[in-house]
Amino acid sequence: MKARSGVYAESRARIRLFAHPGRSGNFWRRYAQAYLFMSPAVVLVAAISLYPIAYAAYLSLFRTRYLERLAFVGLGNYQRLYLDSAFWQNLSHSLLYVFGSLLLVLPFGLIVAILLNQPVGGRGLLRALIILPWVISQTIIALLWSWLLNPDFGPAIYLLQQFGSAKLTLLSDVRTALPTLIGVNVWGSYPMATVLLLAALQTIPQELKDAARVDGTSRWQHFVHITFPFVQPTLLVATILLTLLYFNMVTLVLILTGGGPVGATEVLSLRAFKEGFDFWRIGFAASLGMVIFLFNILFSLLYIRLLRQESLQ
Amino acid sequence: MKRNLFVYVLLICTAVVAVVPVLWGLTTALKPKSEVVTYPPQWVPAHPTLRNFGVVLRETSMPRYFANSLLIGVGTVLMTLAVAAHAGYALARLRFPGKSVLAFGILATAMIPGISILVPLYALASKVKLYDGYTILILVSTAWQVPTVMWLLKGFFETVPRELDESALIDGCTRWSAFYRVILPLARPGMAAAALLAFVFVWNDFLIAFTLTVSDSRRVIAVGLYQYISQYGIEWGELMAAVILALLPVLIMFWALQRHFISGLTAGAMKG
Repeated sequence: MKARSGVYAESRARIRLFAHPGRSGNFWRRYAQAYLFMSPAVVLVAAISLYPIAYAAYLSLFRTRYLERLAFVGLGNYQRLYLDSAFWQNLSHSLLYVFGSLLLVLPFGLIVAILLNQPVGGRGLLRALIILPWVISQTIIALLWSWLLNPDFGPAIYLLQQFGSAKLTLLSDVRTALPTLIGVNVWGSYPMATVLLLAALQTIPQELKDAARVDGTSRWQHFVHITFPFVQPTLLVATILLTLLYFNMVTLVLILTGGGPVGATEVLSLRAFKEGFDFWRIGFAASLGMVIFLFNILFSLLYIRLLRQESLQ
Repeated sequence: MKRNLFVYVLLICTAVVAVVPVLWGLTTALKPKSEVVTYPPQWVPAHPTLRNFGVVLRETSMPRYFANSLLIGVGTVLMTLAVAAHAGYALARLRFPGKSVLAFGILATAMIPGISILVPLYALASKVKLYDGYTILILVSTAWQVPTVMWLLKGFFETVPRELDESALIDGCTRWSAFYRVILPLARPGMAAAALLAFVFVWNDFLIAFTLTVSDSRRVIAVGLYQYISQYGIEWGELMAAVILALLPVLIMFWALQRHFISGLTAGAMKG
């Protein structure tokens, strides 16, 4: 064993010599390969993510007609947003959508993960079925649910009627549209929380669980003192990922409600999409895009701070 | 025992909630027209038929849309793997100035929301005459996947023992051939997870395709389905048949390769 590691140490030293031929070696020759390996990724994200976000910032400062920049207006588009009452409504819909969904998805996702972590037979099959909605696209989620919730022939409506409610048009009633949309979103996204949390639960050492059992802890104590501390960081990561997913979501809302009825489900991201690709107010849409971007940064920083605080404790 | 039963009941209830919307779509697809529009709704088709599937496959452009999605998916997978594997390898193994700036710079672009850059991408695509083509869809999908896939592969390369590169180098391999012949084959599970991630992203994508293409010949599945529902007078039976057909490849991949899916997700990928 010792001889082997001796050989490795020697060979490592030789490679180091080989890979770094002295300080005098030409910089580019020394690092050319590394930069060559990095360059396609760098070029691609620079051209297709960085340049467009910079261009969006630039476009947001102009009054436009289609793609033509008519006049530099400074922060005029943002001022228009600030004065636009619909914008504030969009924002409040977005926040309701994000936090309403989180409030349901996180506890539900955690409970399902804990259940799936119990040693019961047939767990693999149940897991496969339970996390199924995860791979279904937002387009298809919207189509499946608009058929389930169809006011004339949908079984969801039929079911509700059995419980004595009047015939419901959940998605076309101003009061119920947003909660219904949140419900559909919960169905489509809880598996993500479950999968992440399940992975965290599986890192809890068996000895710890055994020790707790020997000590005779109640199930609630077990949850508070063992399970929860173990999943807490993952819970926070899931919160970040889901917040950003919900806040930036367009497809599900566009296809399920299109923002209606009378704007009741028009979230900020959908508004940005419509301003851009329905009304072609490019500069204005760009300013909405920038606001969304800033919110993303804000959410991330907030959560990262929480995460850091936690790891310091 | 009693506790197990309780767990079972809850798990089965959840599974039912997860599966029922898909099953409802499936039974609808199997019903003749007259049974689709009945109230109260019938769960089991009285006269099951494959007619809806036949109509979708023979009388609509859906097969064309499937082929488009497949083409763009395969193109994106190949390009994403090629681009991300090289970058991931450089990050896992090579030392060079500016490494952490590049690594975190690339990773940070995953935080740029898709909706914020669609308008500029549209403008850019029009300017460089790539609008309404396969190329732009592959490029954008790839660029959005590369940061997370690069990170995922970096992790996989780091699990390959360094001694393997080194003995390959001693045996006279160049860095290039050490990478292609020794490391890449060993990172196959990571590559598979990354490929799945990228393919499902494209197969499920609506936004990129909807905003960057316009002609029917370039249309992908998600946009085709959307076009269908925005028409007047939806034939739900046919639409659900198309939905089930669009769902099938992803479901089969998911059930066959669940492990890869999960390792892909825990690397945390999402955008759109």
